[in-house]
Amino acid sequence: MSGIIDVVYAEYNYWIYVTLMMIGFYAMIAKKNLIKKIIGANIFQTAIFLFYISLADVTGGTAPILVGGHGGEHAEHVEHAAEVIYTNPVPHCLILTAIVVAVSTTAVALALIIRIYNEYGSIEEDVILAARRELQPEFSEHARQKGVAEVGEQ
Amino acid sequence: MKTLALFVVVITGAMLIYAGQDLPAFGDINSPSYQAPMTQYFIENSETESGVTNIVTALLASYRGYDTLGETAVIFTAGMAVMLLLRRRER
Repeated sequence: MSGIIDVVYAEYNYWIYVTLMMIGFYAMIAKKNLIKKIIGANIFQTAIFLFYISLADVTGGTAPILVGGHGGEHAEHVEHAAEVIYTNPVPHCLILTAIVVAVSTTAVALALIIRIYNEYGSIEEDVILAARRELQPEFSEHARQKGVAEVGEQ
Repeated sequence: MKTLALFVVVITGAMLIYAGQDLPAFGDINSPSYQAPMTQYFIENSETESGVTNIVTALLASYRGYDTLGETAVIFTAGMAVMLLLRRRER
């Protein structure tokens, strides 16, 4: 039993990110509510952010801001900055970009859901599909033959 | 349907955990990403090359300036898409 705990504790950041990511993945594919699907996608993205930030960590390291770098009279201390351990700045920079993309995709997805709600009066997936079949009885046959995307354009 | 989703999620999670066993330990200073020449170069030279004491800022705004410019294009496109989707239709 203690062997399992040691294995989990040595790399517990990976267990946390996998757990969070799978919670988001389950919400994306099992929930019928479109808003809940978007929330699942956001949890998924946040798990990736945590994974990258945890990869950047170094034990005993400080934030990647040069020690003694601020202020003119302390400028000579920057010379000794090579002896300080800094955490890895590159994943932080990548994740700053990824957060912006995540916010943008969430905004567009929520706007699309508002339009869907205005058209169909619901954000439940099965209600929308039933309303579509009622409007276009040939929808299900066409969907099987030509693919759903092509029918959606007509 | 929910059982199938749970099955897929558990299988994917097990695969990710299995793959994660080969990754470096949490906070390991000898991890390849930290010992890479690029990372060490940024930590040592970003202050003299860009004059910014915050290394993340130097990376984002100086070394990866074109990437940040593209990022603003992403925000602009998202804003335009939201405006076009939510605008009131006059018929």
